[in-house]
Order: sequence, then C-alpha cells, then structure tokens
Amino acid sequence: MPKNKELTYSQALKELEKIVTDIESEEVDIDILAEKIKRASQILTFCKGKLRTAEDEVKKVLAEMGDKADTEAADEE
Amino acid sequence: MQKISSERPALSLSQLNGLIKSAILDTLPDQYWVVAEIADLKLNQKGHCYLELVEKEGNAAIAQIKANIWAYEYRSIGNRFLKATNEPLKQGMKILFLASLLFHEVYGLSLNIKDIDPTYTMGEMARKKKEVLDRLRREGLIDRNKALELPLVPQRIAVISSPTAAGYGDFFNHLDNNPYGYSFVHTLFPALMQGQDAEGSILKALAAIRKQKSACDLVVIIRGGGSVIDLNCFDGYPLAAEVANFPLPVITGIGHQKDDTVVDIAAHTKMKTPTAVAEFLISGMRSFEENILGLENRIVTSVEELLRDERQSLISFAQRLSLLPIRLAAVHRNRLMIISRDIQGRVKQLMQHEQNRLTRAEQAIRHLDPALVLRRGYSITTLKGKILRDAALLKSGMLIETQLQNGTVTSIVQSGKEIRKSAKEQRTDLLPGFEGA
Repeated sequence: MPKNKELTYSQALKELEKIVTDIESEEVDIDILAEKIKRASQILTFCKGKLRTAEDEVKKVLAEMGDKADTEAADEE
Repeated sequence: MQKISSERPALSLSQLNGLIKSAILDTLPDQYWVVAEIADLKLNQKGHCYLELVEKEGNAAIAQIKANIWAYEYRSIGNRFLKATNEPLKQGMKILFLASLLFHEVYGLSLNIKDIDPTYTMGEMARKKKEVLDRLRREGLIDRNKALELPLVPQRIAVISSPTAAGYGDFFNHLDNNPYGYSFVHTLFPALMQGQDAEGSILKALAAIRKQKSACDLVVIIRGGGSVIDLNCFDGYPLAAEVANFPLPVITGIGHQKDDTVVDIAAHTKMKTPTAVAEFLISGMRSFEENILGLENRIVTSVEELLRDERQSLISFAQRLSLLPIRLAAVHRNRLMIISRDIQGRVKQLMQHEQNRLTRAEQAIRHLDPALVLRRGYSITTLKGKILRDAALLKSGMLIETQLQNGTVTSIVQSGKEIRKSAKEQRTDLLPGFEGA
C-alpha cells in the first residue's frame, strides 16, 4: 500500500475500487472492515484535497518551464 | 509633334507615355476576369489598397503586375470577401478578380480591380486544406492524438495562447473560479495566435512542452472567441502534424463558428471557445470526483448494511439470552413445585401412618384397661394391698382381696397348690394387644 504522498489518482481509484468490491462481497471480516473503511476514508480525503490544492512542487516546475518558454519567445522577437 | 533642337525628331517622355496609354486603352479597353496570387498588399491612409500580383511556376514568378483597389470600392469588396471566406485579403492568396488596365504617365502600368469573386479563393483554400487533410490521413496521423486517453484528472495544463488574445482572460477566470473549488496547475506557453508567424511560434511552444511532458496532463491551444478571421495558421500541415503526433492530448479552443481548422481536426478534442475548454476541463475533474464519491456512497451503504445485519443478529441473540433466565426459572419453579408437593404428600403419609399407629396403640391400651379385663370376667387379687401374681406366696389362713367387675370379695386361703398353673394361663391371656405395636 503506497503512502498517500506518492499516491497517483489512478492508484487511489484502483485501491478504492478494490475496497468497495471487498466490502460488497460481504466476505470481509468485521474487524478488517474497520481497517478498510479507515483506509478508504484516507484515500478519499487525500483525493478531495489533491483536487483542490494542487501540489506546490508541480506548480514550481511548471512555473520554471513557463519562464523558460517566455524567455525563448522573447529571444525570438 | 514638337520639334526639338536636335536634328532628329524626338518625342518627350510624356508624349511617349501618352502614346502607350492610348495604345493600351485602344487595344485593351475592356474589363477582364483574371486569376493571380497576391504577392503583397498594402493599405494607405486614404484607404486605397495597393497590391502586387504574381503568377508563379514553382517559386519563380513568370508574370507580375501592380494593382490597386480604390478606397471607395475596397470597402465593399474587402468586406464581402471577408464575410465569405472568413479571411481578409492577404499575401499568398489566389484571387479571381475583375480589372481594367490603367496606364499612368508617372506610375506606369497597373490594374484597377473592380471586383473580386471570393468563391474562387474559398475553393482554393478548401482545396489546400483538403490536400493537408488527405496527407494527414494518408500518413495515419489524423486520429493519432484522438487515440490518446484523456487523463483521469486533467489538473496540470499547458496552455498555448497569447496574453493579448481575446478569450485568454476568460479561460483562466473560468478555470480558476470553478464552483467546485478545484485547483488547476496551468502554465502559459506564449505564442502568436494569428498572422504569418503564428504557426512557427505555436510549434516552438509545443516543442517546449514536449520537453516537460511528464509534468503536464494535457495541452490546450486557445484563441479569442470574438474574431473569426485569419485562421490560416491552423490549416497548415506542419502544425497539424505536430498536434496529431503530440504525446499528450491536445484540446483546441480556437474560437470560430465555421468549418473546423485542420488543427481542430487533428487535435484530441475540439471546443468552440476557450470558455468551453475550461468547462470541459472542470467537468473532467468533476467526473473523477463523482466517481470517487460514488465509491464512497457504496462503501457507506455496504457498511451500514453490514452493521445493521450484525446489530440484528446481536439483538436476536440478546433476546434469546434474555429469555433464557425466564425459561430456567420456570423449569426450576416446576421442579420446586413437584418437590414441595412430594414433600407434602410424604409428610401427610407419614402423619397418617403415625396416626394409625397411635390409634392402634390406643386400642391396644384400651384392651389393657383393668376395668375391661374385669368386665371380661377376670379378677384382680391383692394381698395386703399388693397385686398377687404368685400363689406360692400364700399360706393357709391368709386374707386376700379379689376385685371383680362389680364389687370386691374378701377370702381366706385354704390351700395354694393348684393356683400356680392357672395364674400362668391368666398371664398369657392378658398379653394380646401389645403384639402389633
């Protein structure tokens, strides 16, 4: 199970789908159920948060790229 | 003709030019429909339009002439052309025009354009566009970008546009003020969005994005919504091919109502306006969130169901448990009742038994009552006040007293020999009644 910070959207979605299938199959033990719900809740919180607060890291990288493109374009002129 | 100082007769230049002028007008007096390419086009301050027209074979001009459209006509001709083709008259276009010849003594020969038939140019443009599209199809490029999957969450967006382009501000406002509060990471890669240099400029921007493609989810090319003119730069092969080949999905919002440009067709998704592109991206984010919210709901529902079932079985178990003491108590009460009834019975029985014994003893005792014995004919003999049981104690002349049922007899002993035997018999008779006790 990857830590939240390294989780991609598609990994998150896959893990959530797996949990749902497990729970819906009703084969899950009630004690494990608590664990699964906790994990699902973590993933949901993570995803909802990530949708609303894009990572600063990415912003920085993209901003640098933008600057570069800016200067390149300026050079052209 | 004027004579000049020299011997030879000579014409002044104006005379010659006058001759040329009349010769041309005499020989070519009409208006002609002509096809030519615009090599250059300028408008002066008065609104007159000056053109350089060529006919080319390959890259070489095989014919060339100046032309003009007077301001008065240019206004209507230019507008009609723009309306029909969505493009202004400009360099590189092939046009079919109606013109008459002009010869000016100072400026020389030129054409005066009276009308332009835009359908020819449209056909020409359509033919060029079709050629590009055919080539893209032939090379298998036309659907290549469409084959890419849209990102699960379109959050990191590389934007190609010009900050001066109309619709640019709308796009970012719309994106950043979305009602769900989604946060987009968008980076502008500035490019010219119209004019001759637009294609090269957009290609450069794409090249810059390509270098950092892992940091982006998709590419957006946007241009203002208002102006519908000058879309030529989106119909060329090089840009369309690069868009088709691009490793990230390309979304266009070039803002025009008429036919799609070649770039629109080669892109992954074509939207009408920059705002529509923003909507599209927001809906992509929303779609992902709805997806996970749906999963959340399913989890909640399942867990509630599971818990309800568990609770139900707990309740029924508890009910069974709570009934158990009552049942146990009932069982024990029954047993107690049985035991107590048992005990009562036994006690009664025992009492009865004892009662019987008592009754029998009473009867036996009653049998022994001396009065009864006397009534049956027995008698009690006393010697000096003591009951006499042994005749051997008697001597002649002794005085004994005999008690009968009724009354007492006093006797004097004569002999006592025979009495012992009869006394023994008497005793045996006295005993019955004690045996059953």
